[in-house]
Amino acid sequence: MMRFSKFLKVEAEIIVARHALVMDETKSKAEPVIFLHPEFARKSGVKEGDVVEVEASGRVVKLRAKISERAPENGGLIPNGIYASYLTNFDSFKRFRASIEVSEGEPTGVEELLGKIKN
Amino acid sequence: MALNPMDIYKLLPKTNCKKCGEATCMSFAFKLLNREKKLEDCKPLYEDKKYERQRKKLEEMLKPLEEATETGLIVDESLCTGCGNCVVVCPVHVEKDPKGAAIGNGPTIDDPILRVEDGVVRVVNMKACRRYGKNRILCVVCRENCPSDAIRFLEG
Amino acid sequence: MICPGCSCLCDDVHIKEGKVFNACRRGEGIFSKYKENRAVARVDGREVDADTAIEKAVEILKDSKNPAIYGLDTTVVEAQKLAIDVAEKLNGYIDDNSSFCLGELVEAVLKGEVPTATLDDVRDNAYVLVYWGTNPYHSLSRHMSKYTYYPRGKKRPRGYDEDRFLVVVDVRKSETAVLAKKNAKFIRVDDDAELVDSFIKVIDGRAAKYAKEAGMVINEMKKADFNVIFGGLGLKYGLKDLNKFKEMVKKLNEVAKVYFIPAGFHGNMRGFNETLFERVGYVNRYSFRDGRSDEEFSFTELLKNEKIDTALIIGTDPVYSLPFEVSSKLGKIKTIVVDPRMSFTARIADVVIPSAVSGLEAGGTMVRSDGIRVKLEPLEEREVNDVYILSRIKEGL
Repeated sequence: MMRFSKFLKVEAEIIVARHALVMDETKSKAEPVIFLHPEFARKSGVKEGDVVEVEASGRVVKLRAKISERAPENGGLIPNGIYASYLTNFDSFKRFRASIEVSEGEPTGVEELLGKIKN
Repeated sequence: MALNPMDIYKLLPKTNCKKCGEATCMSFAFKLLNREKKLEDCKPLYEDKKYERQRKKLEEMLKPLEEATETGLIVDESLCTGCGNCVVVCPVHVEKDPKGAAIGNGPTIDDPILRVEDGVVRVVNMKACRRYGKNRILCVVCRENCPSDAIRFLEG
Repeated sequence: MICPGCSCLCDDVHIKEGKVFNACRRGEGIFSKYKENRAVARVDGREVDADTAIEKAVEILKDSKNPAIYGLDTTVVEAQKLAIDVAEKLNGYIDDNSSFCLGELVEAVLKGEVPTATLDDVRDNAYVLVYWGTNPYHSLSRHMSKYTYYPRGKKRPRGYDEDRFLVVVDVRKSETAVLAKKNAKFIRVDDDAELVDSFIKVIDGRAAKYAKEAGMVINEMKKADFNVIFGGLGLKYGLKDLNKFKEMVKKLNEVAKVYFIPAGFHGNMRGFNETLFERVGYVNRYSFRDGRSDEEFSFTELLKNEKIDTALIIGTDPVYSLPFEVSSKLGKIKTIVVDPRMSFTARIADVVIPSAVSGLEAGGTMVRSDGIRVKLEPLEEREVNDVYILSRIKEGL
């Protein structure tokens, strides 16, 4: 699959939902993951394991992409947690539009988000 | 995810040397899947260095087979959330555990087929499964009601 | 043992030789990892002993002009009562997660605006089961196998494929929707209000966007004398106005018997709603100084609008679960966290008071999503638990 360009930003429908496989009861870590629908991944050139930049409401996080047929067809699912909370607001708490772009580097760390609240 | 004999055959020496006791490598591939033969039975794979890469690939491919039970049922624990659908829906459980699994609780019998342990479903007593034994039938109720396809049956 | 992990409050969990039986993945995680990442008593980042942290909390609360208490959905009713006492003494605000979750629907149930039933009734009697805006596979993992679709019941002896009819309403094909195969229907909606409207219109004999789907579901419901709708967060956020949903349930009951049970996540959210309701007549977002409940008194609104200067956060993790526009304000006020774990909020809090894991280290009452009360018997007793901490705070004020 040829990627058009590394800087291809694609609009996506994101939903936020609980995910039992990435919830950490002990709260020692948060999983920076986004589950993309295979159709959407194909269209936007994202492969399983890629780091993607997700931007919504003027805020950006980097998450690791996983493919899941359970995601909405034209986008992805971010599990409830600190990353989803960073991107969303109450008007569109569980469902919002975002732009997704394949990126480099590592997913955003929790410390970085905590630092934005209080350093 | 179903393994088929061709995938296995492609990685075997394909010399029909008969050291495993089978006439052809293709036949050995079939017997491997049925678990009537073990990979170690193919001596050249283990004795000849030139087959090392293939041997490693075969070992990887056949790993789930090791974990499979007699009924050919494998649970992919990484997909399982312990929802218990399979335990409750099992027709054998309904019959044998009417006060336990049949009404939604964890099995109260000592030897259920499946049970949620440590948060994921595990096979306990596959002999009781309807897919096993002389009068086996093609029961797929547990797989059909697994929301994440964590339960697979092996073909062959 | 009873698992406190979600509002299912499963009562058939047992532990033998270190193995946890019957609890789902998340529930098992609580039992097997309850000693991990425990909160450590802290004041301004310095480690102290628990009593010092409690004293400091009392000091901060005394100095506070606009204090709010928040959380409480994972703790026992006995602690929730004390928290309400403390809020009253402070003449402050008290709220739980339900104000941005299913509070309105729980209130409708408590006030009798929609008919409700117990999960045991559902197991024994229910034919049509509607999961609306909820994906129990991840949030209430054993809901369908322990209480609703899969178990046999007194009036439902033949099991799910003959005696039950599953309806799943969602914006995407969730794991629960995947299960809607034979004798079932998955209704994919983009706008839940359109489906609510369709049900109402179909009963009135009018045309509607989802007339076919709604008509089919209503026909199935008419076949039996017991049907139930479970509503979750997807329903709450899919509809701007939950009144329309309540109207729909009432309308459905003109043609078939349809109950409603909220599918809330937290173990004891309903417990808080019922406890506060008994006390002041409201289920959440209550202001003692104003003597009433209002949207503006929800913790999230108070925080967002910078109306409070102190937050006593009990058993919840707002940095983790609240939108950034709200959680970002936490850095500007005094925060006291009472939690068994070093939650993300605890990591930035001014005071951290380590508490017990409810249900495992502290006993008490919790209320299941259907209103059934259960008594949790802990594995071990920890002296410094929510009841101890809140009693000390109350005494100190």
